Amino acid sequence: MDREEVKNDFKGHLITYLNLLDITPDKIKDDEPLFDGDLGLDSIDSVELIVLLDREYGIKINNPTEGRQILIDVNTIVDYILLNRTK
Amino acid sequence: MYLKDVYSISPQVTHTDEFINGNYKIYSKNILSVIEPSYSEMIPASLLRRMGKAVRMGIGAALPLIERHEKLNGIVIGTANGGLENCINFLNQIIEYDEGVLTPTHFVQSTPNALAGQLALMSKNTGYNVTHVNGPLAFENAILDAMMFLEGATNKTALLLGAVEEISNYNYNIDLIAGRYKSDYIDNNKLITSQTKGSICGEGSTMFIVSNDANNALAKLINLKQINYPNEIDLEYLLNQFLFENDLKTEDIDLLILGNNGDVQFDSWYTLLKSFFSSKKEYVYYKNFVGEYRTSSAFALYFATQLLKGRIHHKGIEGDVSSIPKIILIYNQFEGIHHSFILVQSVV
Repeated sequence: MDREEVKNDFKGHLITYLNLLDITPDKIKDDEPLFDGDLGLDSIDSVELIVLLDREYGIKINNPTEGRQILIDVNTIVDYILLNRTK
Repeated sequence: MYLKDVYSISPQVTHTDEFINGNYKIYSKNILSVIEPSYSEMIPASLLRRMGKAVRMGIGAALPLIERHEKLNGIVIGTANGGLENCINFLNQIIEYDEGVLTPTHFVQSTPNALAGQLALMSKNTGYNVTHVNGPLAFENAILDAMMFLEGATNKTALLLGAVEEISNYNYNIDLIAGRYKSDYIDNNKLITSQTKGSICGEGSTMFIVSNDANNALAKLINLKQINYPNEIDLEYLLNQFLFENDLKTEDIDLLILGNNGDVQFDSWYTLLKSFFSSKKEYVYYKNFVGEYRTSSAFALYFATQLLKGRIHHKGIEGDVSSIPKIILIYNQFEGIHHSFILVQSVV
């Protein structure tokens, strides 16, 4: 998958895992902060995101500091997926 | 204990006057899912997206009451299974991901007390908060708890009392294999006379405001009685004892609300119960509207309040009511094991 495909794949998972009602992938901006933006995600969502990355891409985030640098917006997460995915 | 207000979400349109006005939904399937109101105006989207169906419809039924009755002293909920779909999803994930990383939301939403807790948080209610989970008598025990709480309390004391149960497709299939539900589809309005094994599956959430204050009450809940594993003689004794304890005789009961669910294996209990009364005793059913579920007696109680207020003129559907009743006896049983009586009286 190229970057664009991974991005769309991730946005689809994001909507499913977080049950984001009335949100479609095209409504999620790539550089919009996930936790302080319109999506309004919170700490429980961050755990859901860590589970998502583990299950869908084989990425384990065990270090909270590392997590804060990755789970910023779609771009930072997709970059990390492209570099670290194991499936 | 007085029933001051009620809100029901059920497979009928009970969140508006449609059901009261006699517009009954007919389903040609064996799963009767609730018809939900729009939650978007009452539940913030950030909370709504996480809620399982049980929590969602519980809150949907409770919030309108909480808005109308601000000073509540506690929340008492009865649910046999709570967030069943989330519970099963969570358990399946344990297997699917080999006891690895699990999402928290399914677990949080699956706990039976998630509803009472969420209601307390949303309404900032720091009072009594209890969820009863003992199977088909969960709502009856919630009633009992509320009655004890109100005993000796001031007239201004009020509680939110209610029940919720949701259908899980996974669990439905297990129960179907176990013979709890009919193998052939039938119309729900033909449920009572179906004379085959099993019932049809329902769900719902019904909430009440209960208080010692009779002012503007919908009805008075006189008392309730429950028994497990009775035989036929026990049932008659229990009924007579229950009526005696409440200074009533069988002829004082104007109407029976019966929990017949069309299961030929267990509906004979209702025939037996009717035999203790005069053959002219009027009766109505309710599971033809909402299906079978373990806290369906909460819907029966909602139904009773509407009949006592004369809001439902329930003639010729399943059993007849020729006039507005003053005292109603609700009798429900689950698979011949768990039985309950609830006495409800009109308030003039």
